Amino acid sequence: MSRVWLRWMPAVVVPAVIAVAVVAVPLQAGAVVDLPDKTAAEVLALVSDSTVSSFSGTIEQTSNLGLPDLGSALSGMSTGSSDSGTDAAASAATTALELLTGSHTARVFADGPGNLRVQVIDRLDERNLIVNGDEVWFYDSDSNEATHLSIPAGTEADARAQLEEAKTKAAAELGEMPTPAELADTLLADLDSSTEVTVGTDTAIAGRDAYELRLTPRTDETLVASASIFVDSETGMPLSVNVRAQGQQDPAFQVAFTEVSFTAPDAALFTFTPPAGATVTEQALPDHDGTSDHDFGEKPAGDLPVTVTGEGWAAVAELPAGTVDAEVTASPLFTQVTTAITGGYLFSTSLLNVLVTDDGRVLAGSVPVESLQAAAAE
Amino acid sequence: MSSSNPITEVSPADAPERGAAGAAFGWALLASELVVLFRRRRTIAMLLALALIPILIAVAVRLSSNEVSAGQGPPFLDRITQNGLFVGITALVVAIPLFLPLTIGVAAGDTIAGEAGLGTLRYLLVAPAGRVRLLLVKFAGAAAFCLVATLTVVITGAIIGAILFPIGPVTLLSGDTISVADSVGRSLLIALYVTVSLLGLSAIGLFISTLTTVPVGAMAATIVVAVTAQILDALPQLAWLHPWLFSHYWLGFADILRQPILWDSFSDNALLQGGYILVFGALAYGRFATKDILS
Repeated sequence: MSRVWLRWMPAVVVPAVIAVAVVAVPLQAGAVVDLPDKTAAEVLALVSDSTVSSFSGTIEQTSNLGLPDLGSALSGMSTGSSDSGTDAAASAATTALELLTGSHTARVFADGPGNLRVQVIDRLDERNLIVNGDEVWFYDSDSNEATHLSIPAGTEADARAQLEEAKTKAAAELGEMPTPAELADTLLADLDSSTEVTVGTDTAIAGRDAYELRLTPRTDETLVASASIFVDSETGMPLSVNVRAQGQQDPAFQVAFTEVSFTAPDAALFTFTPPAGATVTEQALPDHDGTSDHDFGEKPAGDLPVTVTGEGWAAVAELPAGTVDAEVTASPLFTQVTTAITGGYLFSTSLLNVLVTDDGRVLAGSVPVESLQAAAAE
Repeated sequence: MSSSNPITEVSPADAPERGAAGAAFGWALLASELVVLFRRRRTIAMLLALALIPILIAVAVRLSSNEVSAGQGPPFLDRITQNGLFVGITALVVAIPLFLPLTIGVAAGDTIAGEAGLGTLRYLLVAPAGRVRLLLVKFAGAAAFCLVATLTVVITGAIIGAILFPIGPVTLLSGDTISVADSVGRSLLIALYVTVSLLGLSAIGLFISTLTTVPVGAMAATIVVAVTAQILDALPQLAWLHPWLFSHYWLGFADILRQPILWDSFSDNALLQGGYILVFGALAYGRFATKDILS
C-alpha cells in the first residue's frame, strides 16, 4: 500500500511546491522596503530635482473604473466605417475609451529630451510613436499606416512647444498611455492647500525602492479617495502612479513600470523609416482648435468656453449648450456607455462623472452625480 | 512502516541500474521510439496535412485577384503579397488554435495507450527499461513531434512563399525592417516558441494516455482539453484563470516580431509550460508506476 502511496508522492508534492512558489515569489518582490525617512517636502524636491532623461522600461496601465468592457463594441465601430470624415473623431473617442477599460502594456525608450519611442503592445499588433529630434512618426501595424509630422525650424522654445503639441496629438491618435512621470507632473502641477501631501509606505516598484507620496483631497465632495506617486529613491523619477476612488478596494487607475533601466537605449530605436508597403501620411502640425473636443472632460482646454464652478478636487467643468448635438446622443456607442437620468445622460466611472444635459450642455467632474445635477440646475 | 520492507525503498526509477549501460539503453530506446514515430504513416499524414496549410494560404492569396487590405483576415495575411516570408507566420497563426493541438493530441495521446492497445507495452517493460525511462522516452518523442510539426509549417511556408512571392527585408510589428537572414533567425525562434508552447499539452496527453488502453480515447480527450482551455481563455469573466491556462501564451509568439524582441512572454510561457510538464509528468508517473500492466 505504502509503495503505491510513494509513487503518487510526486503528483502531490510538485503541485504543492508550485503553489508555494506562486504565493511566495510575488510576496518576496513586494517585500518590506525601509528607506531613510523623508518629509513630504523632501520627496517633492527629489521629484523636481530629478534629471533622468535616459531610460527604458515596460509600463503597465490598468483601469478599474467600473466600466463595462467595450472592446468588442469598439472594434466593431472602428472597422465598420473607414472613409468618412467623422471617422477620425470616432476613432479618437474609441481610443480614449479603450484606455479607460482593461489593461495595457507599453514599452518606453527615452534618451535625452529629443528622443522618445513608445510601443503600445497589442496581442498580435503594435502601435508605435517615435520622436527623433524634430521628426515625429506614428506607426500602426494593424492598419500598416505610418503618419509623419515634422517640426519646422524655428526658435528653440518654439520648437519645444510644437514638439510637445505633436506628442499630445500623437498620444490622442495612438491611444497611447501616459508614463508615470507625465501623470505625476499633472498631479503635482497644481498642488495647493486643497490637498494633503503625506509620505506613505516605502515600496519596491520594478525592483527599485520607492517612496510613496500620497495626495489626499481635504474635501469629501469628490470621488477621488487618494492618489499615490511612487518615487524612485535614487533618481527621483516617478515609477508608479495610482488613483483610488471612494469606496473601491483596487486602484481605479494605475500606471506603473514593471521593468525599468536607466541606461541609454540603443540609438537605432529612434530612427524610423516607414516600411515598404505602408501607407504614409504627411501631416501638418495641428492647429489650435478642434483637437480636444473628443476628450471626456479630462482637460478643459483653454480655447473652449469652459466655466468652472467649485474648487480643487470638487471642481465641475461646464461646456455651454449645443456642445453635444442630438446626432451624438443618438449614436449607439453613446447610448451604450451612458445611462439616462433626470435632466440628461450620465457617463459614470468611479473617478469621473460626465453629465450631458438634455439641452446639450456637458458637465464633468470628479464629483458625485448629485453635485453635477445641482450645478446643472443653477 | 515502510522501512520494514526493503523493496519499498527502491523504486524502479532508482539509481542502481542507471549506469552507463542503462543510459546507453535509454538513448537506444529513444532512437527506436523516434524511428517508429516518424515512420508511422499516421505521423507522416499529419505532417503532410500541416504542410498543406501554408501551401493553401499562399496559393489562395496568389490566385485571388483582389488585394488583401491591411487588418483583414488572419494577422499578417496582407503582408504576404509583399513578402513571402510571412506565409509561414500566417500559417502558424491559423494552425495554432486547432490543427497543431489536433496533431499533438494524436501524437501524445498515443504514447502509452497506443502501446497498451497494441499489446506491446508489457514487452517494452520486460526489457530492463523501467517505467520512468519509458515515460521520459515517450515524452521526448511527443516533444520531438511538436518541434517537427512546427518546423514543417514554418519551413513549408518559407519555401512556398519564396516560390510564389517576392522575398525581401521583413517589416516587424514595430515598423522596423530587418534583413532576410535576420528574419530566418526570428522564424526559427518563433518555431522554438511554438514548440515550447505545445509541451504542456504534450504532458497532459501523456498523462491521459496512461489512464486508458484505448488510444483513440486518449487522443480525443487531449484534443478536448486543448479546445476547452481556449474557450476558457476567451471568457472575460474568467480573467483570473487566464494566466494559468496552458494555451494562454500560444499566440504570444508575435512578441518575437517586435523590435527589440520582447522576451517576457517567452519566459512566462516557458515557466508555465514547465509547470504543466512537472505536474502532469508527476501525475503520469504516479499513474503509470502503480498501474498493473495487463497488455
